[in-house]
Amino acid sequence: MTTDFVALEGKSRGYRYLIAVLAILALAGFVSFILSYIQGHQLFGGNNVIPWGMPIVLTIYLIGLSAGSLILSSLTYVFGKEEYRPIARMAVFLAIVLIFGAMLSIAIDLGRPEKFWRLFMFFYMNNMASMFAINGILYGGYFIISLVYLGIIFSGNHRASRITGIIAVGWAVLVHMGTGAIFGFIAAREAWFSPIKPLEFLAAALTSGVALLIVAVTLTLALSGRELKKEMAASLGRLLTYFIIILLVLIIVDKLTHLYSPHREATLYLLTGQYSWIFWGFQIGLGVVIPLVILFNPRINKTVGWVVTAAASVVIGVFFERYYLVIPGAAYPMQYYPGEIQGVWGATGSFPLTPVEMVLSVGIIAFLIFIFVMGLKYLELLPPAEPIKEAVKEGEEEAEKAENTAEASEGQKDKNEQ
Amino acid sequence: MARWGMVIDLDKCTGCQSCSVACKAENNVPHGSPEEHEKRQAPFWHKVIAVSNGTYPTVKTDLIPMPCMHCDDAPCVTVCPAKATYRREDGIIIQNFRRCIGCKYCIVACPYGARSFNYREPDDEEYHRPDPPPERADRGIWPFPHRVHGVVEKCTFCFHRIDKAVKEGKKVGEEVLPACAEACPTHAISFGDLDDPESQVARLLASRQSLRLREEMGTSPKVFYLPK
Repeated sequence: MTTDFVALEGKSRGYRYLIAVLAILALAGFVSFILSYIQGHQLFGGNNVIPWGMPIVLTIYLIGLSAGSLILSSLTYVFGKEEYRPIARMAVFLAIVLIFGAMLSIAIDLGRPEKFWRLFMFFYMNNMASMFAINGILYGGYFIISLVYLGIIFSGNHRASRITGIIAVGWAVLVHMGTGAIFGFIAAREAWFSPIKPLEFLAAALTSGVALLIVAVTLTLALSGRELKKEMAASLGRLLTYFIIILLVLIIVDKLTHLYSPHREATLYLLTGQYSWIFWGFQIGLGVVIPLVILFNPRINKTVGWVVTAAASVVIGVFFERYYLVIPGAAYPMQYYPGEIQGVWGATGSFPLTPVEMVLSVGIIAFLIFIFVMGLKYLELLPPAEPIKEAVKEGEEEAEKAENTAEASEGQKDKNEQ
Repeated sequence: MARWGMVIDLDKCTGCQSCSVACKAENNVPHGSPEEHEKRQAPFWHKVIAVSNGTYPTVKTDLIPMPCMHCDDAPCVTVCPAKATYRREDGIIIQNFRRCIGCKYCIVACPYGARSFNYREPDDEEYHRPDPPPERADRGIWPFPHRVHGVVEKCTFCFHRIDKAVKEGKKVGEEVLPACAEACPTHAISFGDLDDPESQVARLLASRQSLRLREEMGTSPKVFYLPK
């Protein structure tokens, strides 16, 4: 089966409003980046206890979503599931946009972003023992492979797109495990130090990716006036259930090994400390318990609405998992010497969410949606069917906007006006 | 090649913080406001921590001066992607500001909290010593009395003093000391070549029991403490 793809016309009022709003938000983000570049990272919440902030949270979250999109496309191009073909091109394009966003976030988090090229001077100016340098290869390679993949899909060569699809999905797995290794290989931070971290990251990425896929597909079909087939919703829900269970097992094993080891204070702080409500409420509650309750309930686990609710809850839950790992995960003070360290050197780290950092994060997301919407206009990504055209695009956007609620509702209104 | 190390006698340390102040003056480390200190954004190359054990009637407080430990197996050197942090032949771990991209991975990886990020452009008037160290040739990678913001900085064992002394043939550890050791009023801090059996540090280590901080991390620090 071949489907012709078309570009979006992009002449409607709603489209222009959307572009304008996104451009303004992205510009606000750019201004806050320039501010932080001129005045330094004092404008962010980071400090010498919690050095990494929102840009790194965004990075690892966007990478997870990127893999989800790529795996969706592989269902069509590698495994030959034709029902996903109408949105497969967009999925690859979205993966490229998201990995670009992840690399952009890392560059912004650098103290000297103009020296980002040093990360890519492999084996020459780089210390290849560093996980950052290895991830430079992984992320850069992933970006290039995804671009090639999209190009081959555009050329319509089935065999080549199948082979590149396999390479791209395998590389996506490496990208996730490498990202987990950034955290898992640091012995000094006891709550992070774990050989399971790469696998946990992979499971979290697959979970959030599939959840995002469910939300996106449903919105797409619903807004185009069609109904999602119940069987498809149920099968996607089952897939999501497996991934959530794997993720839950890995979370439990990770926490248990930390609780058994001699250095358990940092993990105890994460489980029972000041911010443990984020862990129990969002990461476990929204990310695991609520979706599992829904998906295991035989009366509702086949209805589209409930499966989407479960998926949306997972998308939010996994975002807070990333947040909890990067920011409160680094807050517990290091034990330089046995005993209670007095004063500021032994205090638990705090991380104020500053306006500049928030605007910057929203700006990055708005910029990514902007690129995506422009891509829809200038690339042939959309299936031609008239009713599905606009809605497909919106569904994908909606998914990307899961954390950017204010902007999402605005965009939604704009699209509905069309 | 020498292998520079430090021995800190906790029995002599009074916790006067002269070492921290001398370090800030010697290396042009920005003071940082009290608010920045509270937020942990103020740079410190050398700190003195107070560690208490027990409750009021039976309480013991240890004062631990903490420079960079200049570990033989330094985690910061392993994780730095840009080779900005590296181990010199004489064992000193150096931060090259010109190469540093500011990814903060080393701050995350350091088990001793020895590294500081420059959260803002240092103010000129904050500096005690506006002039850079002597001739340009001696400075090596040290043309940066003014750091830019966005790079990580750390203790250097005052390598500019050591390099100059080695060049002039003076005895490091007796005639020339790092700023913290020089400023210590009780001579609690000794500095010298750990591999030289005649040096003061080697003699101190042979004479008494010694400990290193967080040895379970496997970093082999070159700063030794003589317990009380």
